[in-house]
Amino acid sequence: MTSTEISLDTIDIISPDHYAKNGYPHSEWAYLRQHKPVFHVDRPNVQPFWAITKHADIIQISRQPRLWLNGPRLSVFVVEPGEEVVVPPEAFPLRHLLNMDPPQHGEYRSVVSRQFTPRAVRALAPQIAEITRKVLDDVADRTECDFVTDMSSKVPVAVIAELLGVPRKDWEMLFRWTNEIIGGGDPEFQSAGDPRETFEQARLGLFQYFTDMVAQRQKLPTNDITSIVANAKVNGSPLPTMELLSYYLLLVVAGNETTRNATSGGLLALMQNPEQFQRLKRDPALIKSAVEEIVRWTSPVIQFARTAVRDAEVRGQKIRAGESVCLFYPSANRDEEVFKEPFKFDVARNPNPHLAFGIGEHFCLGSHLAKLELEVIYRQLAERMENPELTGPVQRLRSSFVGGIKHMPIRYKMMPARN
Amino acid sequence: MKIEVDLKLCEGNGRCMEAAPEVFEVRDDDKTHLLMERPPASLYEKLKLAERNCPRQAITLIED
Repeated sequence: MTSTEISLDTIDIISPDHYAKNGYPHSEWAYLRQHKPVFHVDRPNVQPFWAITKHADIIQISRQPRLWLNGPRLSVFVVEPGEEVVVPPEAFPLRHLLNMDPPQHGEYRSVVSRQFTPRAVRALAPQIAEITRKVLDDVADRTECDFVTDMSSKVPVAVIAELLGVPRKDWEMLFRWTNEIIGGGDPEFQSAGDPRETFEQARLGLFQYFTDMVAQRQKLPTNDITSIVANAKVNGSPLPTMELLSYYLLLVVAGNETTRNATSGGLLALMQNPEQFQRLKRDPALIKSAVEEIVRWTSPVIQFARTAVRDAEVRGQKIRAGESVCLFYPSANRDEEVFKEPFKFDVARNPNPHLAFGIGEHFCLGSHLAKLELEVIYRQLAERMENPELTGPVQRLRSSFVGGIKHMPIRYKMMPARN
Repeated sequence: MKIEVDLKLCEGNGRCMEAAPEVFEVRDDDKTHLLMERPPASLYEKLKLAERNCPRQAITLIED
């Protein structure tokens, strides 16, 4: 840690450019955990917030969903140059599980929760294995590829599209919307010139697409998730249009982006720690702990915010009603008080109480699906991929919300699938 | 030590089963089932974790 160069006056943990250039600011977070675990950030490019970097504090806050609300501020977003400060909800015309609070949140969550239980997800294993095998086969006769565009991005979009009943010809479009909704702040994905307009056009495109699909499913119900949501009732009434369409947006984006990034970041960690990859190859029984470690290590969601409904206290620090806290999950997942050798990537780590899926009321609904996808992908990679190595720089997403890898050129050898 | 589960709240996330598989089992009805009602004190830490991790706060650990 180069903590000598870090000072509270200049520390940067929120500029998207910082993340694009350097990846996660782990040195900065380590400094904050040690010196200022509840740190007030007040900078010109962002509305003020309290940075929460300790594992125990994220748990304490997340476990009190009626004191710390999601609704007022979903996440901390910077104000881009030339943009005016826009206060939600105008900034995000969306109503979904991430910005709902109790009791409404639980009512809406139960609309699809049964589709994501361990039982429901287990049934998808053969389908996911087939999808993954095909993705690997497609690059098997090559020795170089972009791991993100050629492999890690393919599996999650196929899985969520199958669950939603979206026909194959439209998968590419789903994938593009996801990139634009999450990555609108990155020039590579700015189809509409600026972040807000890119986001808005992708949102409207996706809303229109699912408006049509909802009409079909209401006329002729099926057993896909699109149909389940389209025909669901909350408190005896069908979902209002905004809540209905936002539900699909959330499922598409959440089912896509984070798993892709965990997959890419996981291979990066395994390439940087080749002895860990060899260990996994030798002992496939490590797959479950390896997946947990990949999720801890990559922590694809960087931060969500909570806003205090009344005056509160975190680690002795007074936080006033209306002020918001920003929960930095990757920091919690390197907390020296919780993890032995937190900066060591260890595929056999146990216990591994990481918070990458959050905790409490908003615990990731798709965690079992995400872990199953990662299990299948890494089981097959461990079986078939030999000597993966980087052949160029890793390009990171310009975002301080989701930690993304856009491109990762690799060289490898892919063996045929065992039967 | 006694464990209570509010089955109206339980939605089968399975976090309890991850924390304490000796005590909790999420079955095909997507609800958690108690394998024992009065678990031994040796499981205390695991049960605290199960209680803490439940997204729906459906689990209550009653200490004697």
